[in-house]
Amino acid sequence: MAEVKVKPEVPDPADIENRIIELCHQFPHGITDQVIQNDMPHMEAQQRAMAINRLLSMGQLDLLRSNAGLLYRIKESQNASKMKGSDNQEKLVYQIIEDAGNKGIWSRDIRYKSNLPLTEINKILKNLESKKLIKAVKSVAASKKKVYMLYNLQPDRSVTGGAWYSDQDFESEFVEVLNQQCFKFLQSKAEAARESKQNPMIQRNSSFASSHEVWKYICELGISKVELSMEDIETILNTLIYDGKVEMTIIAAKEGTVGSVDGQMKLYRAVSPLIQPTGLVRTPCGLCPVFDDCHEGGEISPSNCIYMTEWLEF
Amino acid sequence: MTQAEIKLCSLLLQEHFGEIVEKIGTYLIRTGTQPLRMIVNDTGLSLDQVKKALCVLIQHNLVTYQLQKRGFVEYEAQCKRVLRILRYPRYIYTAKTLYNDTGELIVEELLLNGKMTMSAVVRKVADRLTETMEDGKTMDYADVSSTFVRLADTHFVQRCPLVPEAAETPEVPPPPAPTLVINEKDMYAVPKLNLVGKGKRRRSCDEDENHEHKAKKHKKDGEDAEPPPDDGIYWQVNIDRFHQHFRDQGIVSAVANRMDQTSSEIVRTMLRMSEVTTSSSAPYTQPLSSNEIFRSLPAGYNIVKQVLDQYLTLLADDPLEFVGKSGDSGGGMYTVICTDLHKALASLATATLESIVEERFGSRCARIFRLLLRKKHLEQKQVEDFAMIPAKEAKDMLYKMLSENFVSLQEIPKTPDHAPSRTFYLYTVNILSSARMLLHRCYKSVANLIERRQYETKENKRLLEKSQRVEAILASMQATGAEDVQLQEIEEMITAPERQQLENLKRNVNKIDASENQVDETIFVLESFIESTLKKP
Repeated sequence: MAEVKVKPEVPDPADIENRIIELCHQFPHGITDQVIQNDMPHMEAQQRAMAINRLLSMGQLDLLRSNAGLLYRIKESQNASKMKGSDNQEKLVYQIIEDAGNKGIWSRDIRYKSNLPLTEINKILKNLESKKLIKAVKSVAASKKKVYMLYNLQPDRSVTGGAWYSDQDFESEFVEVLNQQCFKFLQSKAEAARESKQNPMIQRNSSFASSHEVWKYICELGISKVELSMEDIETILNTLIYDGKVEMTIIAAKEGTVGSVDGQMKLYRAVSPLIQPTGLVRTPCGLCPVFDDCHEGGEISPSNCIYMTEWLEF
Repeated sequence: MTQAEIKLCSLLLQEHFGEIVEKIGTYLIRTGTQPLRMIVNDTGLSLDQVKKALCVLIQHNLVTYQLQKRGFVEYEAQCKRVLRILRYPRYIYTAKTLYNDTGELIVEELLLNGKMTMSAVVRKVADRLTETMEDGKTMDYADVSSTFVRLADTHFVQRCPLVPEAAETPEVPPPPAPTLVINEKDMYAVPKLNLVGKGKRRRSCDEDENHEHKAKKHKKDGEDAEPPPDDGIYWQVNIDRFHQHFRDQGIVSAVANRMDQTSSEIVRTMLRMSEVTTSSSAPYTQPLSSNEIFRSLPAGYNIVKQVLDQYLTLLADDPLEFVGKSGDSGGGMYTVICTDLHKALASLATATLESIVEERFGSRCARIFRLLLRKKHLEQKQVEDFAMIPAKEAKDMLYKMLSENFVSLQEIPKTPDHAPSRTFYLYTVNILSSARMLLHRCYKSVANLIERRQYETKENKRLLEKSQRVEAILASMQATGAEDVQLQEIEEMITAPERQQLENLKRNVNKIDASENQVDETIFVLESFIESTLKKP
């Protein structure tokens, strides 16, 4: 009996690839290995793998992992052309950075996600930076950390800190100046209201200023190089409340009146403190740093207290 | 009783009553309720001395006694009452502002003597006032009595509890210690006395006065022969009422600072109207209608009813929340207003805490403190964001306040093993515990100030004695009519630098005295606040 060796037909590799690409187009969300196998049952696993690898290296397929296993997805052609010159690892890293959006991603996180060694990562990052595809932004939370994001994205507020940070430095003088300006504005308004000597309701209402008014005043003053939004002004006014110099009420305002947010308006008014500095702090003992060590007959005692001596000589 | 309180009490007792009383008082405060025998044994003083000292303390309401079941009497010292001695100057000053010199002297006499009968008070005060008046004028008893009656009507002085009139059978022996009772209604009832007379001066060189003396002496002798008509009815100063008054003052001045003068006058009127109707620990005053307030406003403020209504609405809407509107009546024409006393005390105490933090640590720390008060619990990062303070400085300030126990940390673990890297740490401020801590610090400060004052006086004792001798010599020489030259010689016995030193000493002692009173004001606010939180049901 003659053995008939049936030589399996070796399908053309290019055909396989085209077929796979067609399948991907049919299922834009991605296809699993199973789907390809069902479509071309006569193909061996090895050939299938080879075809898929070729497509991946050409940059026409995206490899994704899902719960069910591996997914292959057609990649947009435009992107495919961009990365022609780079190799797989760079593409992988670029993908991870792209996924991070505008919050950026730290180099250690890139390492975890791609499982590449540190030296490789650094080389790749430098490469990508020189190609102007990504950029490094210093985070304001931890000044040594650098996060990477795509070149043309605006970094998020949480990274740069918003209007109060310039180059990672908290601008405390800027905040102080704004603080004082707002307070002066509110104070002069309250003074004017008090001088007018009308009946108390009107007096009180006119001493209020809405956050919109304060915002307009600060913008017109022009002391800030950065554009300030109304929320920024409200944070400044909140610090004034915590200083005890200003109080706030919220009133219901008609939708459409200028400055109202969701039908409410915040009004601010300058106030004077509730009590004078209290008695305890007028004596040296109230402010003494070594208060707990002081007792009669010891090294530090009321009889030889130098703070008291100085205070008595005033 | 903390160490600081005991120390302060012993200093006060020593300054006002002497060594022996101080020893017994401190012993009783430290060890609580004790019978007579124990006191004698433990303090090592003689029975006689102990008895006399206890008499003094009981007379001044600093020690109370109680008949125990087994038949012996135990004595207990009232530590809080001893601390009130610090506040006597403030009571006297208040009486002066309200009732002029007469009131001031009445309260002073009552405080110095603990308990007195009305006739004795009137006589003494009239004498003192007459001395300070010009020659030829005397103080009438009737004026003093009327002021006394007014003091009693506004509850500033009250009757002491009396021995009850029990009809006991002669076989039953009287109890070793009487139980004193006082009827609520009688507490402010002034007995009908017919006090006629005028105050007399002490100077014996006045001829006219001598005649008057002789004329009155008969009457006086007659009076002394029989016991005065109000014997057994003793009066004492009603401390709680004074405290109510201080508290009202604090509220009114806070309103004046926050709003304007007129609003504070309105609040003062409201508080005055509810003075006698509200007990000292009530959380709210009685509701008052705006009509009543309008009628009781002082004459100087002629504002229209609508304006008053507007002010009341403003007060009720203010974020301070001192005044609350409890309803409309009469078809919306009248509003019923009451004052929230507990909240007012809490605001005053919080403001005191904030001012202490501000003075000690700086205005930025005060900002963080107020921020934590408002938001209750915050993380480190949130504190920096809200307060707009750079991270490094904010951390530094928070740790400083944490070390002084003004803020505390609340841990919220994410994992059961409480690993620090996986735990939330929230900063928070606890007002009550901070108030207690500061109160303790106040007590120690006052003790320090008293000690420093005594030290200063002791240092310059020699100088003081010398100046006293010189003054005595001067006075006697002036009395015998010496020449100016001799007087000058004597005066020169005190050299100029010594005089300077005396000046300094006087100024220092006055300064320390004044600051003791100021710290006492802080003590008052903090104590009232802590008491108001304790009494909540």
